[in-house]
Amino acid sequence: MVAGLVPYPEKCTGCRFCELICSLTHEGSVNRKKARLRIVKKGIRNDIPVVCTQCVACGDDCCAEACPENAISMVGDILVVSEEMCTGCGICEKTCKYGVIRVVEGIARKCDLCSGDPVCVKFCPLGALKYEEPGGERYLAVLAMLGGK
Amino acid sequence: MQALRGKLLYVDLTGGKITKEDTPDNLIRDYLGGEGFAVKLFCDAMDPKLDAFDPNNVLVVSAGLFTGNAVPTAGKTVFVSKSPLTGTIAESIMGGAIGAELKAAGYDALVIKGRSKSPKYLFIEDDVVGLLDASKYWGRFTRDVSEGIQNEAGSDVIVACIGPGGEKLVRFAGIDCEDRQAGRGGLGAVMGSKNLKALAVRGTRDIGVADPKRLASISLTWQGIMEKSNAFNEDTKYGSGEFLGWMNSERGVFPTRNWNDSVFEERAKIDPYYWAPRYGVKNKGCFACTKACGKLFVVDDGPYAGTVLDGIEYETLYSLGSQCGNPDIEALAKANEVCDLYGIDTISTGVVIGFVMELVERGILNPDDIGVDCRFTNPDAVPKMAELIGMRKGMGKLFGEGVARISKEILQGSENFAIHVKGMEPPAYDVRGMKGLGLGFMTSPRGACHLRSGFYALDLTGKFWRISDVDRFSPSGKGEQVKLMEDFMTVYDCLGMCKFQRGFFKLEGLMELLDAVVGVSFTEDDLLLVGERINNLKQLFNLDAGIRRKDSYLPKRITQEPIKSGVSKGALLTETEMIGMLDDYYKARRWDREGRPVQSKLAQLGLV
Repeated sequence: MVAGLVPYPEKCTGCRFCELICSLTHEGSVNRKKARLRIVKKGIRNDIPVVCTQCVACGDDCCAEACPENAISMVGDILVVSEEMCTGCGICEKTCKYGVIRVVEGIARKCDLCSGDPVCVKFCPLGALKYEEPGGERYLAVLAMLGGK
Repeated sequence: MQALRGKLLYVDLTGGKITKEDTPDNLIRDYLGGEGFAVKLFCDAMDPKLDAFDPNNVLVVSAGLFTGNAVPTAGKTVFVSKSPLTGTIAESIMGGAIGAELKAAGYDALVIKGRSKSPKYLFIEDDVVGLLDASKYWGRFTRDVSEGIQNEAGSDVIVACIGPGGEKLVRFAGIDCEDRQAGRGGLGAVMGSKNLKALAVRGTRDIGVADPKRLASISLTWQGIMEKSNAFNEDTKYGSGEFLGWMNSERGVFPTRNWNDSVFEERAKIDPYYWAPRYGVKNKGCFACTKACGKLFVVDDGPYAGTVLDGIEYETLYSLGSQCGNPDIEALAKANEVCDLYGIDTISTGVVIGFVMELVERGILNPDDIGVDCRFTNPDAVPKMAELIGMRKGMGKLFGEGVARISKEILQGSENFAIHVKGMEPPAYDVRGMKGLGLGFMTSPRGACHLRSGFYALDLTGKFWRISDVDRFSPSGKGEQVKLMEDFMTVYDCLGMCKFQRGFFKLEGLMELLDAVVGVSFTEDDLLLVGERINNLKQLFNLDAGIRRKDSYLPKRITQEPIKSGVSKGALLTETEMIGMLDDYYKARRWDREGRPVQSKLAQLGLV
């Protein structure tokens, strides 16, 4: 099965621990601004988990297609950024309509699904993030909730 | 040092001067972080004799040492100032992300003093710090202020602000961040008195971790332990009010109608087992909480349609519910929302309303003068009264002063049923049948509080951690036990950990985390000594502020009127027991009879 991160905003409590543990795991320090997913809070009602769709629901806005250095490519089922090839130009960030690939300190930081064992899901006991067969409509629902980046 | 950011930010609102200082190296060892930092920095900067509304009152904001790090349920921010409600040092703690963001911006603490000439908000983006005009936000509700500043400065800015209640100096006004509140003690009114409407922070820095791999592994282990527990299931389904029915029926200590009763006969209508499935849309959590016990509560129909809030917490189910004889969950929710929007503490607000209801019942106040038919039999009066207080309209001007000052103004014997300790309206535990917590109410530096000692857990279940065989009806042994629990609980506030997790982590879990996060080893005794140091420092401040032993005494209703019905019927915390327990506690603390720490104790704590 090809699995991806799937967001369930109706379950999200807005705690943002996913952002903390994502950055700890990938960076060795904690910084929500470097997390490979983000929680957008809109008023009291909406806590929206915004995750990388791994190209499932990006259509023409594909970071890999847009990258002039070809630094983003499929490794197995996961779109991965090559830190050696990435120049930090930021074109991918501009392309991504979810705003989850972010260039920080000269490197594009993108969800790699923790090589198939995403840590964020392990700290989301109420089920706002699931690792399962990706459903494109859930990504589109999140986009609609965001109403822009 | 890992996890520390290295900078303290000082803001003087009077002249607009902003300075940064290095965080002293020894601060972690002696004060850990969070509440410890805030209390220490506050005591260093504040003259205890100044009035809480003096421009030179100091307000300190500090994130717990673990807050902003990847420690499950560590998300708390501590505010410390002199309380306009109690005249004591007061800490007020919230689960909003403001402290974590402050840390990400590079600051271990923010120290504010002075008074701005016009409304301002403090904007912080890493190194850039400035005071911006807040005139257009003055008079506006908490949620509108957050939204407005985020529209102006970016949706990822974290905003902590006051509502109209804080501006109008309601003595129990709180500070709001993301619909989480630092409610107790009136620190929102301190901000209001300074013309400071909000703090708005964006931080982009890394927060260091001594051993990232080990932290990830420890966090995962604890997450697994929490998720397997009954508490996880109960708390995430029903929130902090999960045990309300049990408190009412099995323990008989659920204060009702201004503490005239201790059992609320209409309990079932405000019990989360009733309302959570009907009104709870989804769970809401404090920052970094992976065991979220809040609920997004929405009323769809009826006179209170459109009410939406994060709640309703156990304490509020009492204060705006049973305390006011109010079994209408929708009116209760509306009153809670009003408190949140106006930025006033739900506990104090509800206790004030219940007190006014008794004044009306006794014919001391006339509802016509109030403009609200404020009676125990009228649920709709509760949200109306909350609004009157938040706006300080008409008699709301007096009611916003809190129970102790209302009683002093009105007299006519009202002091006998003015329920407060040191001027602080109490939370939802009838201490006539919980003597350990009764002592905890007395010894809490900020006045009647369940969370300084957390002794309710021991009174109700008979044991916790090192302490067992606790008899809730006996004063015996409570002095030593309350002291130990206060020092224990203070460690949680230093680290920014949610106290609901104390049964899981106790102290050894925290020690393991300290090692991974900060890379410093602490023993249990080291941690308890930090707690003891902070509690002594607070006591020294209170003594210098003129707070005396008798200010800690319990209200007459608790020492003279036995519980009327239910399983705790007849229970009373007598004056003799009260004085005896306080003596025992002072002995355990090595304080003299007036509560002054002896020199050798101060020397041991490094406070000479």
